[in-house]
Amino acid sequence: MDLQKLITKPKKGAKSIRAGEELTVVGQSVPRIDGWEKIKGAAKYTDDLEFGPGLLYAALVESPFAHARIKSIDISKAEKLHGVVKVVTGGNFTQKFGLYMNDRYVFATDTVRFVGEQVAAVVATDPKIALRGAGLVKVEYEELPAVMDAVKALEKDSPLVHPDLKSYTHVPWFFPKPGTNIAHWRKIRKGDLAKGFRDADLVMEDTYSVPRYAHCAIEPHSAIGLYDASGRLTMWTSSQSPFTQRHVFAETLKSFGLSHKDVRVISTYIGGGFGGKAGVTMEIIAAALALTVPGRPVKLLWSRAQEFYNTYQRLGCTAKIKMGVSKAGKITALDFKLHWDAGAYVEYGANVVNAAGLSASGPYKVDNLSIDSMCTYTNLPPCGAYRGFGYSEFLFGLESHITRMARELGLDPVEFRMKNAIKEGDTLPYGAHMNPTGIRDAIERVRKEIRWGVKEKSKDPKKAIGKAQVCFWKSPAMPPNASSSAFLKFNEDGSINILVSGMEIGQGLLTVMAQIASEVLSVPVSKIRVETPDTDRNPYEWQTVGSHVTWGCGNAVKRAALEARERILDLVQRVHCLDKSALYLEDQHVKCRTKPDFALRFSDFVINGIQAEDHTFKGGPIMGSGVFMPEFASAISDPETGQGGHPNVHYTTGSAGIILEVDRETGKMKIKKVALAVDCGKAINPDLVRGQIVGGLLQGFATVLYEDMRYNEKGRLLNPNFSDYKIPTVMDMPDQVVPIIIEVAQPDGPFGARGVGEHTMIPCAPLIANAVEDAVGVRIKSMPVTKEKVALAVKAAKK
Amino acid sequence: MKQHNIQFWLNGEKVSLQVEPSDVLLDVLRGKLGIKSPKAGCDRGDCGTCTVLMNGKTIRSCLALAVEADGAEIVTLEGANSRKWTQRLQKTFHEKNAFQCGFCAPGVILSATELLENNSRPTTHDIKEAIAGNLCRCTGYEPIVEAIEETVKGK
Amino acid sequence: MPITTEFEYIKPKDMDEALHVFSVYKEKARVLAGGTDLVVHLKENLARPEVVVDIKALPELAGFTLRDGTLRLGALVTFSDLIASPLIKSKFPLLWEASLTVASVGVRNRATVAGNICSAVPSADSAPVLAVYEAEVLTRSLKGERRIPIADWFTGPKKTALLPEEIVTSIELKLPEKKHAGCYMKLSRYEGEDLAQGGIAVLAFADNTYRLATCALGPKPARCPGTEAVLSGARLGEKLLSKAKETILGEVSPISDIRSSKEYRLHMTQIMLGRALGSAVARLFGKGAKYGTENIC
Repeated sequence: MDLQKLITKPKKGAKSIRAGEELTVVGQSVPRIDGWEKIKGAAKYTDDLEFGPGLLYAALVESPFAHARIKSIDISKAEKLHGVVKVVTGGNFTQKFGLYMNDRYVFATDTVRFVGEQVAAVVATDPKIALRGAGLVKVEYEELPAVMDAVKALEKDSPLVHPDLKSYTHVPWFFPKPGTNIAHWRKIRKGDLAKGFRDADLVMEDTYSVPRYAHCAIEPHSAIGLYDASGRLTMWTSSQSPFTQRHVFAETLKSFGLSHKDVRVISTYIGGGFGGKAGVTMEIIAAALALTVPGRPVKLLWSRAQEFYNTYQRLGCTAKIKMGVSKAGKITALDFKLHWDAGAYVEYGANVVNAAGLSASGPYKVDNLSIDSMCTYTNLPPCGAYRGFGYSEFLFGLESHITRMARELGLDPVEFRMKNAIKEGDTLPYGAHMNPTGIRDAIERVRKEIRWGVKEKSKDPKKAIGKAQVCFWKSPAMPPNASSSAFLKFNEDGSINILVSGMEIGQGLLTVMAQIASEVLSVPVSKIRVETPDTDRNPYEWQTVGSHVTWGCGNAVKRAALEARERILDLVQRVHCLDKSALYLEDQHVKCRTKPDFALRFSDFVINGIQAEDHTFKGGPIMGSGVFMPEFASAISDPETGQGGHPNVHYTTGSAGIILEVDRETGKMKIKKVALAVDCGKAINPDLVRGQIVGGLLQGFATVLYEDMRYNEKGRLLNPNFSDYKIPTVMDMPDQVVPIIIEVAQPDGPFGARGVGEHTMIPCAPLIANAVEDAVGVRIKSMPVTKEKVALAVKAAKK
Repeated sequence: MKQHNIQFWLNGEKVSLQVEPSDVLLDVLRGKLGIKSPKAGCDRGDCGTCTVLMNGKTIRSCLALAVEADGAEIVTLEGANSRKWTQRLQKTFHEKNAFQCGFCAPGVILSATELLENNSRPTTHDIKEAIAGNLCRCTGYEPIVEAIEETVKGK
Repeated sequence: MPITTEFEYIKPKDMDEALHVFSVYKEKARVLAGGTDLVVHLKENLARPEVVVDIKALPELAGFTLRDGTLRLGALVTFSDLIASPLIKSKFPLLWEASLTVASVGVRNRATVAGNICSAVPSADSAPVLAVYEAEVLTRSLKGERRIPIADWFTGPKKTALLPEEIVTSIELKLPEKKHAGCYMKLSRYEGEDLAQGGIAVLAFADNTYRLATCALGPKPARCPGTEAVLSGARLGEKLLSKAKETILGEVSPISDIRSSKEYRLHMTQIMLGRALGSAVARLFGKGAKYGTENIC
């Protein structure tokens, strides 16, 4: 199996340092190294940074139409307002940009494509003046027919959102269809679908729909730009991806003479990301504005409403499933069509569609498989990364459908899943092979935890109790050459600074990186400092997305630590004439197996070197660097079948189960218990893994039970606030959450670790839908599964 | 517009400054007084990140005009850091890794401080009621509630 | 998010000064008490007053007293004041229960009951409770005082009987003389703070008479006299309840909006009526859920 070829250096290194020894720091729930700063209220987020009285503020002029031609823009009144420094329109910035598909402009130039799209900006000395100035810009529009629905957008006479699609550049693994609204069409064809359906004893077809969702990080996006006299653009951004931002800024603004070396992105702590801060959204506006006011910092801060309507949203999805199953409970065929509403610009969102298309079989062995994952432009706000990256959406349909089919055949839905669950070495939808996985263990442990098979009764006669168990998997969705790197530097006292550009977005990355280095170098976590990045000082990281940084950035840190260790051992061998193979690190000392009384303290030499017998000094500052790139990955495959590449690096799998109480009259649902088992390979910090499970589950349940972005027929978002887009409060916690950590090592992961951040929210939708059916006998096929839908369905079923 | 001279106690120190009637308290604390622990999260009182204590009670500083602070005692987490209950809470929050991104932490800690200063033996329901207006998107709340319960037990 | 509207701020030290401002500015003046609605409206440009009048320095508006069976709530009384009061909890438990469903602590510490009924959104949680306690709203202008029964107070969504030159000084509630218990049942999208998608307040009396009022089930909060009449006099049983459930549908007129559909609101009107009556009657006999629990549907 191809992963085996990959046994990377760190793995060997790990063996040589501590052959047979127990891990001492990895696997421990050490307190977060960023804990105190945050708990004291001292942690700085982007909007907390001070820029002095010269700071300028920007406000935007936004489109009131979902689709319109801009006829004219009159900025004369705004320019005259006292305190207005600059009014900027799209004409100044004509370079299109995007992460995977270059389909966006900094400002709409001749056409607006969604309600809220930026048309112009006013830069002023005060935020109030900027807003008042924006109100004085007069834009004349000619409204155009708009399309708000991904399925209608495929009809022949649908308005085209991007008539010039043919001229857009994009990554080679995207397949847009110019002349239509299809921005990308990921196809998977495996086995013989027709035969699979012929072999089936039951074929069931249905459609499941999922609306758009908002990330709702509590910190809104913010960005400050400063273009200085040396021709350097410095950006302070609330970002999961400072290096990706630097690249997009440099590429988009290169006509102003900027190259990558001139662009510097500094990211502080961020107040939640969930994918919403993964790419470049409003930050490009601040970057562009900075160029128009050289020498003066300019800030753009999103309001909560803008946070809702003009950052990425989660894509809406209509999923059509046709599945064939044998009496024995084997999935014989799956034909899965996913229609994605990706919005007005798909520069990031199209990759969600791609990722879902590659993996929509779920964690099951499906030999005869057809997947069409279609990314469609609509005149709604642009969509992009959201924790789960398309998997929550297809799992709602898939895991609902599996339970229904199992029940229809009289099979136990959990046993059914156990039978079909993927194994190490099985062929994946795109032809590569499955990594080691603990999915069966996960199914078994969750099954026990929720007392599957034992029917429970509510004490309240108005209520019924239902149970459900589902499985999930997810892979990081990343370009094949996405890489991570790390620098590690020792200080005089033996303490360490680690520089990485993986972002601390709440998950605890800084702590986990410190634990990895600590384990290799025997320096306690308390003596290691890891901070958020500055692209000038810190080495490259692709993005902090896809649950990949513990794995990717962790590998880089481990390699950097091993390199530092090698330097230490080389030096000691050279100066003390001890054989390197006998040397080891323990408790911040170099020790020697053959010479028990030898112990050289790090603080005695890691900067100033070791004094030799002739009084000279050897060595010098000890440091290490590490780079990790998954060199086995490839995104190139046959566009008609998806076969041939190796687009996904590995899958994290798991299972989740629920005990749900449903009020038959009101539809109100109460989660009595939820258990989630996830195979994270190795939990470097179990407490932080539990944090991901508990937090991810609540975020997931909210998308099923009450969250929902609602648009009117004109494409205007009706609930751009927390008053009507309800995110859970402490009152909405499940009664009991049981996190279960499974550890089947990932061969190429640091200490066997693989990602876990997104996986914890993706099984929630089918869990609720299946448990509702188990409890009260109604099947809800559209998210959210609100109490209203449940109550009205129960009422209708009675009639 | 007419400027107003206002004076108030901020974290125990007397401050005086000029504000416009339309200046929002949160913006003045953050923009003019360098107090950054209260954050702007929702602009309309729904999320609780802008929580400060005004005359001993938690309020939404995004829904107060700065002129209203005239003569008042305002305490933010910067100032509450020295209060007994705040410190006890912080110790447990740290030990239990109760926060992730940390953006909601100042508001949650002030709300919990207000609760414990008034009721040192709260039930779990009281705890939830006290922080129900502080939205946290990361943690699922469980570690926060557990940490407050732990603080109460360990007092 | 800044407020872009420019206005003057006045904090009168006595009532005459305040009333004078309103007599001059009328609808161009806005009262600032808790500010939890006003500041949102200022930020979102839904209110563009020329002057904002902070009434918090007016001593006669502060506090609440129960005297001779009449509870007088000053216009500055906040929901937190009510929740913290053992008097309110014991004598007006229904008001106490409804107060707990309003927003969250940090909002309730500033938001006033008077502000709640002046904003007069159809979902105002305090409104149906004040309706069943047959409250009166006391207003003042330079021309004098008025006493407006709560039944006449709400004139439409976000509309009240308050005249532009008037301010609310207090709200008076009569403590019912007969033995009674109540329940405020609220329909909410989840357990956390939410604007009511529907609400029913019930006062049940030991002589099998009832007072009922709703919010968010029509353009304004309102009593349900027809349903009260159906229920009056007989013991609450299945038959009577189903007749009441039929009757109440004729007394509400919910709409479909982003928070709920008309169909669900109608369905829940009946469910909530049954549960609110059941809870109030149980409480009347010292049973049932404690006030402030099990009242969110």
